[in-house]
Amino acid sequence: MRSTLTHDTDPLQLIRRRLGKSKSLHDSLSGRASPDGSESPELLQRERSIRTNRRQKFINCLLQEDINMPELRKLAWQGIPDELRPIVWPLLLGHMPSISGLRSSTLKRKREEYASLVEVTFARDRQLDQQIWHQIEIDVPRTRPGVRLWMHACTQRSLERILYVWAIRHPASGYVQGINDLATPFFQVFLSAYVDSEAEDFDPTILPPSVLNAIEADSYFCLSRLLDGIQDNYIAGQPGIHRSVKRMAELVARIDPPLAAHLASQNVEFMQFAFRWMNCLLMREISVRNTIRMWDTYLAEGADAFSQFHLYVCSAFLVKWSEKLRQMDFQGIIMFLQSLPTQSWTDHDIEMLLSEAFVLSSTWHNAQSHFSGR
Amino acid sequence: MAEGSNYDYLFKVVLIGDSGVGKSNLLSRFTRNEFNLETKSTIGVEFATRSINVNGKVVKAQIWDTAGQERYRAITAAYYRGAVGALLVYDISKHATYVDVTRWLKELRDHADSNIVIMLVGNKSDLKHLRAVPTEEAKAFAAENGLSFIETSALDASNVEAAFQTILTDIYRIVSSKSLEQSADAIKAPTGDTITVTPSVDTTQQQGGKCC
Repeated sequence: MRSTLTHDTDPLQLIRRRLGKSKSLHDSLSGRASPDGSESPELLQRERSIRTNRRQKFINCLLQEDINMPELRKLAWQGIPDELRPIVWPLLLGHMPSISGLRSSTLKRKREEYASLVEVTFARDRQLDQQIWHQIEIDVPRTRPGVRLWMHACTQRSLERILYVWAIRHPASGYVQGINDLATPFFQVFLSAYVDSEAEDFDPTILPPSVLNAIEADSYFCLSRLLDGIQDNYIAGQPGIHRSVKRMAELVARIDPPLAAHLASQNVEFMQFAFRWMNCLLMREISVRNTIRMWDTYLAEGADAFSQFHLYVCSAFLVKWSEKLRQMDFQGIIMFLQSLPTQSWTDHDIEMLLSEAFVLSSTWHNAQSHFSGR
Repeated sequence: MAEGSNYDYLFKVVLIGDSGVGKSNLLSRFTRNEFNLETKSTIGVEFATRSINVNGKVVKAQIWDTAGQERYRAITAAYYRGAVGALLVYDISKHATYVDVTRWLKELRDHADSNIVIMLVGNKSDLKHLRAVPTEEAKAFAAENGLSFIETSALDASNVEAAFQTILTDIYRIVSSKSLEQSADAIKAPTGDTITVTPSVDTTQQQGGKCC
Protein backbone atom coordinates (compact mmCIF):
# COMPACT_ATOMS: atom_id res chain seq x y z
CA MET A 1 0.00 0.00 0.00
CA ARG A 2 2.86 2.35 -0.54
CA SER A 3 1.91 5.46 -2.33
CA THR A 4 3.86 8.23 -3.79
CA LEU A 5 2.53 11.52 -2.62
CA THR A 6 3.00 14.92 -3.90
CA HIS A 7 2.17 18.31 -2.54
CA ASP A 8 1.49 19.72 -5.93
CA THR A 9 -2.21 20.37 -6.33
CA ASP A 10 -2.26 21.14 -10.02
CA PRO A 11 -3.51 17.96 -11.66
CA LEU A 12 -1.97 18.88 -14.98
CA GLN A 13 1.45 19.09 -13.39
CA LEU A 14 0.88 15.70 -11.86
CA ILE A 15 -0.02 14.25 -15.20
CA ARG A 16 3.03 15.82 -16.79
CA ARG A 17 5.24 14.34 -14.13
CA ARG A 18 3.63 10.98 -14.53
CA LEU A 19 4.09 11.13 -18.27
CA GLY A 20 7.74 11.70 -17.68
CA LYS A 21 7.92 8.58 -15.55
CA SER A 22 6.03 6.39 -17.93
CA LYS A 23 8.42 4.59 -20.18
CA SER A 24 6.05 3.39 -22.85
CA LEU A 25 4.59 6.83 -23.05
CA HIS A 26 7.98 8.34 -23.35
CA ASP A 27 8.69 5.93 -26.12
CA SER A 28 5.50 6.62 -27.90
CA LEU A 29 6.15 10.34 -27.61
CA SER A 30 9.35 9.81 -29.50
CA GLY A 31 7.55 7.65 -32.00
CA ARG A 32 9.03 4.33 -31.02
CA ALA A 33 7.10 1.18 -30.34
CA SER A 34 7.07 -0.44 -26.95
CA PRO A 35 10.38 -2.27 -26.56
CA ASP A 36 8.87 -5.38 -25.04
CA GLY A 37 6.37 -5.55 -27.85
CA SER A 38 8.34 -7.98 -29.91
CA GLU A 39 7.85 -10.71 -27.36
CA SER A 40 4.08 -10.30 -26.96
CA PRO A 41 1.61 -12.19 -29.05
CA GLU A 42 0.55 -10.21 -32.05
CA LEU A 43 -2.94 -9.54 -30.84
CA LEU A 44 -1.78 -8.28 -27.47
CA GLN A 45 0.67 -6.05 -29.15
CA ARG A 46 -1.99 -4.72 -31.42
CA GLU A 47 -4.28 -4.01 -28.51
CA ARG A 48 -1.53 -2.31 -26.64
CA SER A 49 -0.61 -0.19 -29.57
CA ILE A 50 -4.23 0.86 -30.00
CA ARG A 51 -4.32 1.83 -26.36
CA THR A 52 -1.04 3.66 -26.57
CA ASN A 53 -2.27 5.34 -29.67
CA ARG A 54 -5.45 6.49 -28.00
CA ARG A 55 -3.51 7.71 -25.04
CA GLN A 56 -1.22 9.58 -27.31
CA LYS A 57 -4.15 11.26 -29.01
CA PHE A 58 -5.46 12.35 -25.60
CA ILE A 59 -2.09 13.69 -24.63
CA ASN A 60 -1.65 15.61 -27.84
CA CYS A 61 -5.07 17.08 -27.36
CA LEU A 62 -4.43 17.98 -23.72
CA LEU A 63 -1.11 19.62 -24.44
CA GLN A 64 -2.67 22.18 -26.78
CA GLU A 65 -2.55 25.78 -25.61
CA ASP A 66 -6.27 25.99 -26.11
CA ILE A 67 -7.77 22.55 -26.00
CA ASN A 68 -10.00 21.62 -28.87
CA MET A 69 -13.04 20.64 -26.83
CA PRO A 70 -15.02 18.89 -29.58
CA GLU A 71 -11.97 16.75 -30.21
CA LEU A 72 -11.56 16.00 -26.52
CA ARG A 73 -15.23 15.07 -26.25
CA LYS A 74 -14.93 12.77 -29.20
CA LEU A 75 -11.98 11.02 -27.61
CA ALA A 76 -13.56 10.87 -24.18
CA TRP A 77 -16.73 9.24 -25.49
CA GLN A 78 -14.74 6.03 -26.00
CA GLY A 79 -13.39 6.10 -22.45
CA ILE A 80 -10.63 8.06 -20.78
CA PRO A 81 -7.35 6.45 -19.67
CA ASP A 82 -7.36 6.24 -15.85
CA GLU A 83 -4.38 8.49 -15.33
CA LEU A 84 -5.77 11.25 -17.55
CA ARG A 85 -9.28 11.26 -16.13
CA PRO A 86 -8.49 13.66 -13.27
CA ILE A 87 -7.82 16.39 -15.79
CA VAL A 88 -10.25 15.40 -18.52
CA TRP A 89 -13.32 15.35 -16.26
CA PRO A 90 -12.85 18.90 -14.94
CA LEU A 91 -12.25 20.08 -18.49
CA LEU A 92 -15.40 18.43 -19.80
CA LEU A 93 -17.41 19.80 -16.91
CA GLY A 94 -16.06 23.28 -17.41
CA HIS A 95 -14.51 23.30 -13.96
CA MET A 96 -11.12 23.82 -15.57
CA PRO A 97 -10.67 26.23 -18.50
CA SER A 98 -9.55 24.91 -21.87
CA ILE A 99 -6.86 27.56 -22.17
CA SER A 100 -3.77 26.23 -20.52
CA GLY A 101 -2.51 29.60 -19.31
CA LEU A 102 -5.62 30.11 -17.21
CA ARG A 103 -5.76 26.74 -15.60
CA SER A 104 -3.61 27.08 -12.51
CA SER A 105 -4.99 30.45 -11.54
CA THR A 106 -8.58 29.34 -12.08
CA LEU A 107 -8.16 26.23 -9.99
CA LYS A 108 -6.45 28.21 -7.27
CA ARG A 109 -9.23 30.77 -7.21
CA LYS A 110 -11.97 28.13 -7.13
CA ARG A 111 -10.35 26.19 -4.35
CA GLU A 112 -10.05 29.37 -2.32
CA GLU A 113 -13.66 30.13 -3.08
CA TYR A 114 -14.67 26.72 -1.80
CA ALA A 115 -12.58 27.13 1.33
CA SER A 116 -14.33 30.39 2.12
CA LEU A 117 -17.73 28.82 1.36
CA VAL A 118 -16.96 26.14 3.91
CA GLU A 119 -15.79 28.71 6.39
CA VAL A 120 -18.92 30.82 6.05
CA THR A 121 -21.27 27.86 6.02
CA PHE A 122 -19.82 26.31 9.14
CA ALA A 123 -19.05 29.54 10.99
CA ARG A 124 -19.50 29.21 14.73
CA ASP A 125 -22.21 31.82 14.96
CA ARG A 126 -24.19 30.26 12.16
CA GLN A 127 -26.95 27.76 12.86
CA LEU A 128 -26.89 24.62 10.77
CA ASP A 129 -30.06 23.69 8.96
CA GLN A 130 -30.93 20.83 11.27
CA GLN A 131 -33.09 18.91 8.86
CA ILE A 132 -30.48 18.88 6.11
CA TRP A 133 -27.57 18.27 8.43
CA HIS A 134 -29.37 15.46 10.20
CA GLN A 135 -30.04 13.61 6.94
CA ILE A 136 -26.45 14.05 5.76
CA GLU A 137 -25.16 12.80 9.09
CA ILE A 138 -27.25 9.65 8.75
CA ASP A 139 -26.24 9.00 5.15
CA VAL A 140 -22.51 9.74 5.14
CA PRO A 141 -21.50 6.73 7.25
CA ARG A 142 -23.56 4.49 4.97
CA THR A 143 -22.08 5.81 1.76
CA ARG A 144 -20.09 3.02 0.08
CA PRO A 145 -20.18 1.03 3.31
CA GLY A 146 -17.33 -1.39 3.75
CA VAL A 147 -15.00 0.45 1.39
CA ARG A 148 -11.93 1.51 3.29
CA LEU A 149 -11.56 4.98 1.82
CA TRP A 150 -15.13 5.87 2.74
CA MET A 151 -14.94 4.50 6.24
CA HIS A 152 -12.20 6.96 7.17
CA ALA A 153 -13.46 9.82 9.33
CA CYS A 154 -11.44 12.21 7.22
CA THR A 155 -13.20 11.22 3.97
CA GLN A 156 -16.55 11.26 5.71
CA ARG A 157 -16.00 14.82 6.99
CA SER A 158 -15.09 15.88 3.44
CA LEU A 159 -18.24 14.32 2.07
CA GLU A 160 -20.34 15.97 4.76
CA ARG A 161 -18.98 19.37 3.84
CA ILE A 162 -19.45 18.82 0.10
CA LEU A 163 -23.05 17.71 0.54
CA TYR A 164 -24.00 20.31 3.09
CA VAL A 165 -22.49 23.27 1.27
CA TRP A 166 -24.20 22.13 -1.93
CA ALA A 167 -27.54 21.63 -0.18
CA ILE A 168 -27.49 25.04 1.46
CA ARG A 169 -26.77 26.68 -1.84
CA HIS A 170 -29.57 24.78 -3.58
CA PRO A 171 -32.55 25.32 -1.32
CA ALA A 172 -35.09 24.15 -3.91
CA SER A 173 -33.85 20.62 -3.52
CA GLY A 174 -31.63 20.61 -0.48
CA TYR A 175 -29.88 17.34 0.17
CA VAL A 176 -31.66 14.30 -1.25
CA GLN A 177 -30.61 10.74 -0.50
CA GLY A 178 -28.62 9.38 -3.41
CA ILE A 179 -26.70 12.60 -4.02
CA ASN A 180 -24.15 11.20 -1.59
CA ASP A 181 -23.55 8.33 -4.01
CA LEU A 182 -23.01 10.75 -6.89
CA ALA A 183 -20.22 12.59 -5.07
CA THR A 184 -18.07 9.49 -4.64
CA PRO A 185 -16.81 8.95 -8.21
CA PHE A 186 -15.48 12.51 -8.32
CA PHE A 187 -13.68 12.17 -5.03
CA GLN A 188 -12.09 8.88 -6.05
CA VAL A 189 -11.06 10.09 -9.48
CA PHE A 190 -9.47 13.26 -8.13
CA LEU A 191 -7.80 11.36 -5.33
CA SER A 192 -6.32 8.98 -7.89
CA ALA A 193 -4.27 11.84 -9.33
CA TYR A 194 -2.27 12.02 -6.13
CA VAL A 195 -1.80 8.39 -5.25
CA ASP A 196 -0.43 5.39 -7.05
CA SER A 197 -2.34 2.76 -5.11
CA GLU A 198 -6.00 1.89 -5.46
CA ALA A 199 -8.01 4.94 -4.36
CA GLU A 200 -10.63 2.84 -2.58
CA ASP A 201 -8.05 1.34 -0.23
CA PHE A 202 -6.29 4.58 0.44
CA ASP A 203 -5.94 6.22 3.81
CA PRO A 204 -6.51 9.90 3.09
CA THR A 205 -5.25 11.06 6.48
CA ILE A 206 -1.71 10.76 5.19
CA LEU A 207 -2.39 13.36 2.52
CA PRO A 208 -1.24 16.91 3.17
CA PRO A 209 -4.21 19.17 3.99
CA SER A 210 -3.69 21.24 0.86
CA VAL A 211 -4.10 18.18 -1.33
CA LEU A 212 -7.14 16.99 0.54
CA ASN A 213 -8.70 20.43 0.26
CA ALA A 214 -8.03 20.50 -3.46
CA ILE A 215 -9.68 17.09 -3.96
CA GLU A 216 -12.65 18.17 -1.88
CA ALA A 217 -13.07 21.49 -3.68
CA ASP A 218 -12.77 19.96 -7.14
CA SER A 219 -15.26 17.25 -6.17
CA TYR A 220 -17.66 19.88 -4.92
CA PHE A 221 -17.56 21.94 -8.11
CA CYS A 222 -17.80 18.97 -10.42
CA LEU A 223 -20.68 17.48 -8.44
CA SER A 224 -22.41 20.86 -8.66
CA ARG A 225 -21.98 20.90 -12.43
CA LEU A 226 -23.39 17.42 -12.74
CA LEU A 227 -26.36 18.22 -10.51
CA ASP A 228 -27.09 21.43 -12.41
CA GLY A 229 -28.24 19.23 -15.27
CA ILE A 230 -30.58 17.11 -13.15
CA GLN A 231 -31.92 19.48 -10.50
CA ASP A 232 -35.47 18.52 -11.43
CA ASN A 233 -34.74 15.05 -10.13
CA TYR A 234 -34.41 16.35 -6.61
CA ILE A 235 -36.86 19.20 -6.14
CA ALA A 236 -40.24 18.67 -4.51
CA GLY A 237 -42.21 15.96 -6.25
CA GLN A 238 -39.11 14.94 -8.19
CA PRO A 239 -40.64 15.87 -11.58
CA GLY A 240 -37.44 15.15 -13.48
CA ILE A 241 -37.53 11.53 -12.42
CA HIS A 242 -41.22 11.17 -13.18
CA ARG A 243 -40.64 12.58 -16.63
CA SER A 244 -37.68 10.32 -17.34
CA VAL A 245 -39.40 7.19 -16.08
CA LYS A 246 -42.46 7.97 -18.18
CA ARG A 247 -40.38 8.49 -21.30
CA MET A 248 -38.40 5.36 -20.60
CA ALA A 249 -41.63 3.34 -20.38
CA GLU A 250 -42.78 4.81 -23.68
CA LEU A 251 -39.47 4.07 -25.32
CA VAL A 252 -39.36 0.47 -24.09
CA ALA A 253 -42.87 -0.03 -25.43
CA ARG A 254 -41.47 0.95 -28.83
CA ILE A 255 -38.21 -0.95 -28.83
CA ASP A 256 -39.33 -4.12 -27.02
CA PRO A 257 -43.12 -4.49 -27.21
CA PRO A 258 -43.17 -8.07 -25.85
CA LEU A 259 -41.27 -7.00 -22.74
CA ALA A 260 -43.45 -3.95 -22.23
CA ALA A 261 -46.54 -6.12 -22.63
CA HIS A 262 -45.23 -8.70 -20.19
CA LEU A 263 -44.39 -6.09 -17.56
CA ALA A 264 -47.86 -4.63 -17.97
CA SER A 265 -49.49 -8.05 -17.71
CA GLN A 266 -47.64 -8.62 -14.43
CA ASN A 267 -48.68 -5.19 -13.15
CA VAL A 268 -45.08 -4.09 -12.92
CA GLU A 269 -44.80 -0.33 -13.08
CA PHE A 270 -41.60 1.25 -14.32
CA MET A 271 -41.63 3.50 -11.30
CA GLN A 272 -41.16 0.46 -9.07
CA PHE A 273 -37.66 -0.18 -10.35
CA ALA A 274 -36.59 2.72 -12.57
CA PHE A 275 -37.05 5.37 -9.91
CA ARG A 276 -33.79 4.36 -8.32
CA TRP A 277 -32.10 4.07 -11.71
CA MET A 278 -32.81 7.75 -12.30
CA ASN A 279 -32.28 8.94 -8.75
CA CYS A 280 -28.85 7.37 -8.40
CA LEU A 281 -27.88 7.25 -12.08
CA LEU A 282 -27.61 3.44 -11.94
CA MET A 283 -24.97 3.66 -9.21
CA ARG A 284 -26.92 1.15 -7.12
CA GLU A 285 -27.00 -1.23 -10.07
CA ILE A 286 -23.40 -1.18 -11.26
CA SER A 287 -19.98 -0.82 -9.63
CA VAL A 288 -18.24 2.48 -9.10
CA ARG A 289 -15.65 1.41 -11.62
CA ASN A 290 -18.39 0.85 -14.16
CA THR A 291 -19.96 4.16 -13.21
CA ILE A 292 -16.74 6.03 -13.78
CA ARG A 293 -16.39 4.54 -17.25
CA MET A 294 -20.02 5.42 -17.95
CA TRP A 295 -19.50 9.01 -16.87
CA ASP A 296 -16.62 9.39 -19.34
CA THR A 297 -19.21 9.04 -22.06
CA TYR A 298 -21.90 11.06 -20.29
CA LEU A 299 -19.50 13.95 -19.76
CA ALA A 300 -18.44 13.73 -23.39
CA GLU A 301 -22.07 13.77 -24.46
CA GLY A 302 -22.60 17.08 -22.73
CA ALA A 303 -24.47 18.80 -19.95
CA ASP A 304 -27.84 17.13 -20.38
CA ALA A 305 -26.56 13.58 -20.76
CA PHE A 306 -27.33 12.80 -17.14
CA SER A 307 -31.00 13.36 -17.84
CA GLN A 308 -31.34 12.71 -21.59
CA PHE A 309 -28.76 10.14 -22.63
CA HIS A 310 -29.21 8.38 -19.31
CA LEU A 311 -32.77 7.59 -20.25
CA TYR A 312 -31.55 5.65 -23.27
CA VAL A 313 -28.93 3.89 -21.21
CA CYS A 314 -31.60 2.83 -18.72
CA SER A 315 -33.81 1.58 -21.54
CA ALA A 316 -30.97 -0.41 -23.08
CA PHE A 317 -30.12 -1.69 -19.62
CA LEU A 318 -33.64 -3.00 -19.05
CA VAL A 319 -33.97 -4.55 -22.49
CA LYS A 320 -30.72 -6.39 -21.86
CA TRP A 321 -32.59 -8.66 -19.43
CA SER A 322 -35.67 -8.93 -21.60
CA GLU A 323 -35.57 -12.66 -22.19
CA LYS A 324 -35.13 -13.47 -18.50
CA LEU A 325 -37.74 -10.97 -17.38
CA ARG A 326 -40.34 -12.35 -19.77
CA GLN A 327 -40.16 -15.69 -17.94
CA MET A 328 -40.82 -14.14 -14.55
CA ASP A 329 -43.88 -13.16 -12.56
CA PHE A 330 -44.36 -9.90 -10.67
CA GLN A 331 -42.36 -10.91 -7.65
CA GLY A 332 -39.58 -12.46 -9.70
CA ILE A 333 -39.26 -9.37 -11.85
CA ILE A 334 -39.13 -6.92 -8.97
CA MET A 335 -36.66 -9.02 -6.99
CA PHE A 336 -34.47 -9.57 -10.04
CA LEU A 337 -34.37 -5.89 -10.94
CA GLN A 338 -33.59 -5.02 -7.33
CA SER A 339 -30.35 -6.96 -7.39
CA LEU A 340 -29.14 -7.40 -10.93
CA PRO A 341 -26.25 -9.74 -11.71
CA THR A 342 -23.82 -7.02 -12.80
CA GLN A 343 -21.10 -7.73 -10.21
CA SER A 344 -18.70 -9.07 -12.81
CA TRP A 345 -19.35 -6.35 -15.35
CA THR A 346 -16.26 -4.95 -16.99
CA ASP A 347 -15.64 -1.82 -19.00
CA HIS A 348 -16.53 -3.86 -22.03
CA ASP A 349 -20.06 -4.55 -20.76
CA ILE A 350 -20.51 -0.85 -20.06
CA GLU A 351 -19.25 0.05 -23.50
CA MET A 352 -21.73 -2.37 -25.09
CA LEU A 353 -24.49 -0.76 -23.08
CA LEU A 354 -23.37 2.71 -24.07
CA SER A 355 -23.29 1.86 -27.75
CA GLU A 356 -26.75 0.33 -27.56
CA ALA A 357 -27.94 3.50 -25.86
CA PHE A 358 -26.28 5.56 -28.54
CA VAL A 359 -28.12 3.70 -31.27
CA LEU A 360 -31.39 4.23 -29.40
CA SER A 361 -30.78 7.90 -28.87
CA SER A 362 -29.82 8.49 -32.51
CA THR A 363 -32.96 6.73 -33.61
CA TRP A 364 -35.42 8.17 -31.15
CA HIS A 365 -34.13 11.35 -29.71
CA ASN A 366 -35.50 13.66 -32.33
CA ALA A 367 -38.58 11.61 -32.84
CA GLN A 368 -40.38 13.66 -30.23
CA SER A 369 -43.78 12.84 -31.61
CA HIS A 370 -43.25 9.25 -30.56
CA PHE A 371 -43.23 10.43 -27.01
CA SER A 372 -46.62 11.57 -26.02
CA GLY A 373 -46.78 14.72 -23.99
CA ARG A 374 -43.34 15.94 -24.86
CA MET B 1 -36.56 -17.24 -6.11
CA ALA B 2 -40.27 -17.11 -6.64
CA GLU B 3 -42.24 -19.05 -4.06
CA GLY B 4 -44.97 -19.72 -6.54
CA SER B 5 -48.56 -19.09 -5.76
CA ASN B 6 -49.16 -21.70 -3.09
CA TYR B 7 -50.58 -19.44 -0.46
CA ASP B 8 -54.01 -18.79 0.94
CA TYR B 9 -53.70 -15.08 1.52
CA LEU B 10 -51.53 -12.36 0.07
CA PHE B 11 -51.14 -9.32 2.28
CA LYS B 12 -49.41 -6.15 1.20
CA VAL B 13 -47.61 -4.47 4.07
CA VAL B 14 -45.58 -1.26 4.11
CA LEU B 15 -42.66 -0.36 6.32
CA ILE B 16 -42.56 3.32 7.14
CA GLY B 17 -40.81 5.64 9.56
CA ASP B 18 -37.95 8.10 9.74
CA SER B 19 -34.66 7.66 7.98
CA GLY B 20 -32.15 5.43 9.74
CA VAL B 21 -34.52 3.70 12.19
CA GLY B 22 -33.74 0.29 10.72
CA LYS B 23 -36.65 -0.47 8.41
CA SER B 24 -34.52 -2.23 5.81
CA ASN B 25 -32.82 -4.38 8.41
CA LEU B 26 -36.16 -5.36 9.96
CA LEU B 27 -37.19 -6.50 6.51
CA SER B 28 -34.00 -8.42 5.79
CA ARG B 29 -34.09 -10.00 9.23
CA PHE B 30 -37.64 -11.16 8.67
CA THR B 31 -37.34 -12.30 5.06
CA ARG B 32 -33.75 -13.58 4.91
CA ASN B 33 -32.67 -13.71 8.54
CA GLU B 34 -29.92 -11.26 7.70
CA PHE B 35 -28.70 -8.13 9.42
CA ASN B 36 -26.14 -5.79 7.99
CA LEU B 37 -24.66 -2.89 9.92
CA GLU B 38 -23.46 -1.47 6.64
CA THR B 39 -26.67 -0.90 4.76
CA LYS B 40 -27.01 1.78 2.12
CA SER B 41 -29.97 4.10 2.39
CA THR B 42 -33.13 2.93 0.65
CA ILE B 43 -33.94 4.90 -2.47
CA GLY B 44 -37.64 5.00 -3.26
CA VAL B 45 -38.95 1.58 -2.29
CA GLU B 46 -37.64 -1.95 -2.01
CA PHE B 47 -39.55 -5.14 -1.97
CA ALA B 48 -39.39 -8.55 -0.33
CA THR B 49 -41.76 -11.35 0.58
CA ARG B 50 -42.12 -14.18 3.01
CA SER B 51 -44.84 -16.68 3.70
CA ILE B 52 -45.81 -17.65 7.21
CA ASN B 53 -48.40 -19.84 8.78
CA VAL B 54 -51.39 -18.22 10.46
CA ASN B 55 -54.10 -20.44 11.89
CA GLY B 56 -53.16 -23.21 9.52
CA LYS B 57 -53.31 -20.91 6.51
CA VAL B 58 -50.37 -19.85 4.43
CA VAL B 59 -50.16 -16.09 4.51
CA LYS B 60 -47.79 -14.49 2.09
CA ALA B 61 -46.57 -11.07 3.10
CA GLN B 62 -45.58 -8.76 0.29
CA ILE B 63 -43.59 -6.11 2.05
CA TRP B 64 -42.62 -2.74 0.64
CA ASP B 65 -39.80 -1.03 2.44
CA THR B 66 -39.88 2.72 1.89
CA ALA B 67 -37.27 5.46 1.99
CA GLY B 68 -37.56 7.59 5.11
CA GLN B 69 -36.59 10.97 3.73
CA GLU B 70 -39.29 13.57 3.39
CA ARG B 71 -38.49 14.20 -0.28
CA TYR B 72 -39.54 10.67 -1.14
CA ARG B 73 -43.01 10.92 0.38
CA ALA B 74 -44.63 11.59 -2.99
CA ILE B 75 -43.29 8.36 -4.41
CA THR B 76 -43.59 6.21 -1.31
CA ALA B 77 -47.17 7.30 -0.61
CA ALA B 78 -48.16 5.63 -3.88
CA TYR B 79 -47.31 2.32 -2.27
CA TYR B 80 -49.80 2.77 0.56
CA ARG B 81 -52.54 2.02 -1.94
CA GLY B 82 -53.78 -1.50 -1.41
CA ALA B 83 -51.69 -2.03 1.71
CA VAL B 84 -53.56 -3.84 4.47
CA GLY B 85 -50.86 -3.37 7.06
CA ALA B 86 -48.21 -0.87 8.06
CA LEU B 87 -45.29 -1.22 10.39
CA LEU B 88 -44.54 2.26 11.65
CA VAL B 89 -41.00 2.12 12.90
CA TYR B 90 -39.07 4.44 15.21
CA ASP B 91 -35.71 4.12 16.92
CA ILE B 92 -35.94 3.75 20.70
CA SER B 93 -32.60 5.54 21.04
CA LYS B 94 -33.64 8.59 18.97
CA HIS B 95 -36.49 10.52 20.49
CA ALA B 96 -37.09 12.62 17.37
CA THR B 97 -37.99 9.52 15.38
CA TYR B 98 -40.68 8.79 17.97
CA VAL B 99 -42.00 12.35 17.86
CA ASP B 100 -42.37 11.98 14.09
CA VAL B 101 -44.68 8.99 14.53
CA THR B 102 -47.59 11.43 14.65
CA ARG B 103 -46.64 12.78 11.25
CA TRP B 104 -46.41 9.29 9.81
CA LEU B 105 -49.85 8.45 11.19
CA LYS B 106 -51.24 11.48 9.41
CA GLU B 107 -49.46 10.36 6.26
CA LEU B 108 -51.23 7.00 6.51
CA ARG B 109 -54.57 8.61 7.23
CA ASP B 110 -54.17 10.78 4.13
CA HIS B 111 -53.02 8.12 1.71
CA ALA B 112 -53.82 4.63 2.96
CA ASP B 113 -57.01 2.64 3.24
CA SER B 114 -58.88 3.63 6.39
CA ASN B 115 -58.97 0.01 7.58
CA ILE B 116 -55.22 -0.45 7.41
CA VAL B 117 -53.80 -2.30 10.41
CA ILE B 118 -50.99 -0.32 11.97
CA MET B 119 -48.34 -1.57 14.33
CA LEU B 120 -46.00 0.78 16.13
CA VAL B 121 -42.51 -0.71 16.25
CA GLY B 122 -39.77 0.58 18.53
CA ASN B 123 -36.64 -0.80 16.90
CA LYS B 124 -33.04 -1.08 18.17
CA SER B 125 -34.13 -2.41 21.57
CA ASP B 126 -30.59 -3.77 21.92
CA LEU B 127 -29.37 -0.20 22.53
CA LYS B 128 -30.55 -0.33 26.14
CA HIS B 129 -28.01 2.15 27.45
CA LEU B 130 -29.11 4.71 24.84
CA ARG B 131 -32.84 4.38 25.31
CA ALA B 132 -34.59 7.70 24.77
CA VAL B 133 -38.19 6.51 24.48
CA PRO B 134 -39.68 4.72 27.51
CA THR B 135 -41.55 1.56 26.61
CA GLU B 136 -44.56 2.55 28.69
CA GLU B 137 -44.90 5.88 26.96
CA ALA B 138 -44.91 4.34 23.49
CA LYS B 139 -47.25 1.61 24.63
CA ALA B 140 -49.71 4.17 25.97
CA PHE B 141 -49.47 6.22 22.79
CA ALA B 142 -50.16 3.13 20.71
CA ALA B 143 -53.17 2.19 22.80
CA GLU B 144 -54.59 5.72 22.53
CA ASN B 145 -54.28 5.60 18.77
CA GLY B 146 -55.54 2.08 18.27
CA LEU B 147 -52.20 0.67 17.18
CA SER B 148 -50.58 -2.50 18.33
CA PHE B 149 -47.12 -2.10 19.76
CA ILE B 150 -43.89 -4.02 19.99
CA GLU B 151 -40.23 -3.36 20.58
CA THR B 152 -37.77 -5.14 18.30
CA SER B 153 -34.12 -5.47 17.54
CA ALA B 154 -33.25 -6.31 13.97
CA LEU B 155 -29.66 -6.65 15.18
CA ASP B 156 -30.18 -9.38 17.78
CA ALA B 157 -33.37 -10.59 16.07
CA SER B 158 -35.53 -10.22 19.15
CA ASN B 159 -39.24 -9.85 18.45
CA VAL B 160 -38.83 -9.37 14.71
CA GLU B 161 -40.60 -12.62 13.99
CA ALA B 162 -43.24 -11.73 16.56
CA ALA B 163 -43.84 -8.30 15.08
CA PHE B 164 -44.62 -9.62 11.63
CA GLN B 165 -46.46 -12.63 12.99
CA THR B 166 -48.68 -10.36 15.08
CA ILE B 167 -49.57 -7.88 12.39
CA LEU B 168 -50.20 -10.62 9.82
CA THR B 169 -52.40 -12.45 12.31
CA ASP B 170 -54.32 -9.25 13.03
CA ILE B 171 -54.84 -8.68 9.34
CA TYR B 172 -55.82 -12.29 8.82
CA ARG B 173 -58.40 -12.02 11.59
CA ILE B 174 -59.99 -8.98 9.99
CA VAL B 175 -59.87 -10.29 6.46
CA SER B 176 -61.20 -13.74 7.29
CA SER B 177 -64.02 -12.36 9.40
CA LYS B 178 -64.91 -9.99 6.57
CA SER B 179 -65.03 -12.75 4.01
CA LEU B 180 -67.15 -14.71 6.43
CA GLU B 181 -69.55 -11.78 6.63
CA GLN B 182 -69.67 -11.53 2.89
CA SER B 183 -70.01 -15.17 2.06
CA ALA B 184 -72.35 -16.17 4.84
CA ASP B 185 -74.43 -13.14 5.50
CA ALA B 186 -77.53 -15.16 6.26
CA ILE B 187 -75.91 -17.29 8.85
CA LYS B 188 -73.77 -14.59 10.27
CA ALA B 189 -72.95 -15.35 13.79
CA PRO B 190 -74.03 -12.84 16.42
CA THR B 191 -71.44 -10.44 17.61
CA GLY B 192 -69.52 -13.20 19.31
CA ASP B 193 -66.52 -14.27 17.35
CA THR B 194 -66.81 -17.46 15.46
CA ILE B 195 -63.19 -17.25 14.56
CA THR B 196 -61.01 -17.76 17.50
CA VAL B 197 -57.63 -16.37 16.99
CA THR B 198 -55.29 -18.71 18.65
CA PRO B 199 -51.59 -18.20 18.56
CA SER B 200 -50.28 -19.46 15.29
CA VAL B 201 -49.66 -23.15 14.81
CA ASP B 202 -46.22 -22.20 13.66
CA THR B 203 -43.79 -24.00 15.90
CA THR B 204 -41.39 -21.10 16.22
CA GLN B 205 -41.43 -19.33 19.52
CA GLN B 206 -44.47 -17.16 19.60
CA GLN B 207 -44.75 -13.54 20.49
CA GLY B 208 -42.43 -13.68 23.36
CA GLY B 209 -41.58 -10.37 24.85
CA LYS B 210 -43.14 -7.02 24.92
CA CYS B 211 -45.83 -7.41 22.36
CA CYS B 212 -49.21 -6.28 23.54
